[in-house]
Amino acid sequence: MKRIKQISVFVENKPGRLLDVVEVLGSNDIDIKAISLADSSDFGIVRLICEDPESAYKVIAKNDFTASLTEVLAIAISDKPGSLAKVLRALKESGINIEYMYGFSAKMKDYAVMIMKVSNLEETIKCCISNNIRILSESDIKSVV
Amino acid sequence: MIYDNEIETLPREALEALQFKRLQQTLEHVYALVPFYKEAFRKANITPSDIKSLKDLHKLPFTTKDDLRDSYPYGMFSMPIDQIVRIHASSGITGKPTVVGYSKADIEEWSQLMARSFVACGVTSKDIIQNAYGYGLFTGGLGAHYGAEKLGAAVIPISGGNTKKQIIIMVDFKSTVLTATPSYAQLLADTIEEMGLLDKINLRVGVFGAEPWSESMRQKLEGKLHITAMDIYGLSEIMGPGVAIECEAKEGLHIWEDAFIPEIIDPDTQEPLEDGQEGELVITTIKKQAMPLIRYRTKDITKIIKEPCKCGRTHRRIQKILGRSDDMIIIRGVNVFPSQIESVLMEIEGLSPHYQLIVDRQNNLDTLEVQVEVDSKIFSDEIRKLQGLQNQIQKDIKDILGITTKVTLVEPRTLLRSEGKAKRVIDKRKI
Repeated sequence: MKRIKQISVFVENKPGRLLDVVEVLGSNDIDIKAISLADSSDFGIVRLICEDPESAYKVIAKNDFTASLTEVLAIAISDKPGSLAKVLRALKESGINIEYMYGFSAKMKDYAVMIMKVSNLEETIKCCISNNIRILSESDIKSVV
Repeated sequence: MIYDNEIETLPREALEALQFKRLQQTLEHVYALVPFYKEAFRKANITPSDIKSLKDLHKLPFTTKDDLRDSYPYGMFSMPIDQIVRIHASSGITGKPTVVGYSKADIEEWSQLMARSFVACGVTSKDIIQNAYGYGLFTGGLGAHYGAEKLGAAVIPISGGNTKKQIIIMVDFKSTVLTATPSYAQLLADTIEEMGLLDKINLRVGVFGAEPWSESMRQKLEGKLHITAMDIYGLSEIMGPGVAIECEAKEGLHIWEDAFIPEIIDPDTQEPLEDGQEGELVITTIKKQAMPLIRYRTKDITKIIKEPCKCGRTHRRIQKILGRSDDMIIIRGVNVFPSQIESVLMEIEGLSPHYQLIVDRQNNLDTLEVQVEVDSKIFSDEIRKLQGLQNQIQKDIKDILGITTKVTLVEPRTLLRSEGKAKRVIDKRKI
């Protein structure tokens, strides 16, 4: 499996709501691997990568949050100047549009990880393979992150 | 199906003759027994004998909610308290309640009209009616209850609230009819869905009233609960539920003209309007004993449909209530009814039916904020899709009402749920 599951949570833009999300996960022993907060004027979307996305999603939904599971790619990018550009160029040349992206630190020697939501998953996977770009799987996330 | 064939299909001429006879009796009765009316008629320089036909009705003075409040609690009663068998009070949210008394004959008449109403909207004596209208001072619960018993149906007097228990009873008791406010029916429907019990309920008819609701809300409730959703109209001052009811044609609500005379007036000039013109509904009761009302201003905005109904009933119909003249919000000079906004929201696929309107004034300019709950059906992990949704709602409201609104997406279950009448508008303007 080349794709991993991200949990997206709808939050109103008011103090403490992000904390509520994180606390719910924490009190259920769910480890957050990566988090990003996208905001508009009156609401935000919290995007999360967790070890066991299915049960994390269940916990979130059970606590009355509006949430969804989305397929995204976790791409390993070598930790050298210009390597992100190299990946993005490859995607551009395949006509792939990135909807959103965020990075997180990984315990992987010489690599950083970028989470990407793309316009065409299949195309992106093919493009990465042909360009020798490493995509992390769910089990990679568990072991390396 | 018709409950009382003779009276419900009485030819217009005979019906109007009956109305006039009863109007005269009512006028004599209140003139003699209610000091408020004696005084009001004197001020209008009129006596009951000046009313020589139904056409003279408009010469009589109006009765308003304020008159009822000023007569609190028993000033409008035309019978001594030992002949009163029931006292209700309006659910008025602001100010003193308005108190209404019923004689034994009034309760019997109300039960008859309510049974008639149930039959008109497809309920039979074989039905199991789950009555989720509130019992108590509010007329909904007991009004529907007595009507259901008069009809011979089985009634479950569950009242409003206890939503989950309500649903378990609905499943276990195999209720076939639900009576509730439309906003509570909506909450029930959502909860049934959440509990995964939609295929376990046996409802076939919903009788919803006590607040204005839109055609699109009807479609949602019908689609989700697999029922036919019928609109019932009434108000405690006049009687309670069962003043008017939709028949199976669903083209307006028959107002029971052997008991009530409806008029439509212009709420500003107070002049009578022709059938077909939209305005405020005014009702004169002609069968009530304990507390008859002459030309009571309901504040409800509707029109009288004069064309005969295909169901064969001769009693005229009123259009589904559009709103109340006092619930109407005026935003920068534009009249807005919450039901109009509701229609717009309901047209958008997947949108939650829970919404609230916040009216405010900033820099001397009225603002309207529409708060809509985002549920998992419309949620997207991409900001621009949610912003697109906000823009669409904003544009649809602008297209229909011509006003610009701020649309705010809020988390599910953050807006107040109602077990009775929904409070849709919060007006923060200080004028």
